[in-house]
Amino acid sequence: MKVKEFMKTKLAYIDADSTVYEAIEEMLDKRIRSLVVNPENAEEVYGVITARDVVFKVLGKGLMPRDVKVSEIASKPVVCIDQDTKLIDAAVLMEKLGIARLFVCEGKKLLGIFTLTDAMGGSLILIARSGHVA
Amino acid sequence: MLKKLLAPGKKEKAVIEDLTRHIKLLYSGLDAFERAFRDKDRDLMASIIDLEREADVIRRDVISNIYEGAFLPYLRPRLCRFAEVIDCVFDLLEDAAYQYLDLVIDASIQNYCTQIAALNERMCEMLLLSFETLMGGGDLRDKALAIRVYEKKVDDIKLDLVRDLRNVEVKTFWDGKALSDFVSSLTSVSDIIEDASDYLQVINVSMR
Repeated sequence: MKVKEFMKTKLAYIDADSTVYEAIEEMLDKRIRSLVVNPENAEEVYGVITARDVVFKVLGKGLMPRDVKVSEIASKPVVCIDQDTKLIDAAVLMEKLGIARLFVCEGKKLLGIFTLTDAMGGSLILIARSGHVA
Repeated sequence: MLKKLLAPGKKEKAVIEDLTRHIKLLYSGLDAFERAFRDKDRDLMASIIDLEREADVIRRDVISNIYEGAFLPYLRPRLCRFAEVIDCVFDLLEDAAYQYLDLVIDASIQNYCTQIAALNERMCEMLLLSFETLMGGGDLRDKALAIRVYEKKVDDIKLDLVRDLRNVEVKTFWDGKALSDFVSSLTSVSDIIEDASDYLQVINVSMR
């Protein structure tokens, strides 16, 4: 079973010079836990800002979300995998890097996102297909 | 216990074979829909309408065999209902195929619809596995859970699809209605497959 069967193709983006407050608004509005940070120029690459970044790097440190730019706390570059990566290999990579989401890329283009929840859902289907009982 | 209840006579065997054929035909129909939609193959899409007629014949055979005395009385209505639920999926698939033939799908929703069509097919594959497991007397729990995982994924995509659909320009009321009906049929398939899976669970539990 491959990542492309389980990735989400709808990605939400935010500009690097937006404030963390705007990122919080966007995440809460769309009920998502991360946003792709657009490159600031042609040489730059995509980044990612997560709910964890917001809580740990801004709120937890007593900073005001309106005073912090997304670019200051975003992780860059995003970790990319191929859409034909096996589900288990993606899970191993997540565990190794200690991250909750991988981006599915084709060259410089982002095709989708593969998260821990997608990995869990995929694993259940693998079990059901192979006839094993969880 | 299950095997004793499910496969004692000729009539029961005929019903089980027909139900298996019914689900396999649905699987073929959903596979054809997915390929037709992805490749924009209108002839293949039109062939789904014939599959639906074939499925109707199978459903009638299942129900008449059951009414002629296959299975214990308490199981009969549940098995009939299961066949009818499968038929509901076929009706939705046929509606979606008909509507597709009159539509030009906007590029902004093409990818969503392809994903949903692929997931519908996968769900039906899992339903078939679930039915075969029931017939073999196995535990359906992991299959039912897998079907729910698929359904959740379809629901997530549906939310994005409906949101983006609002930006698609339609020229007339009827164009808009056809597009809306198409999306509604396509996205309802997974709900009904989930219902079918629930029926299998009910049959399974009621035979314990």
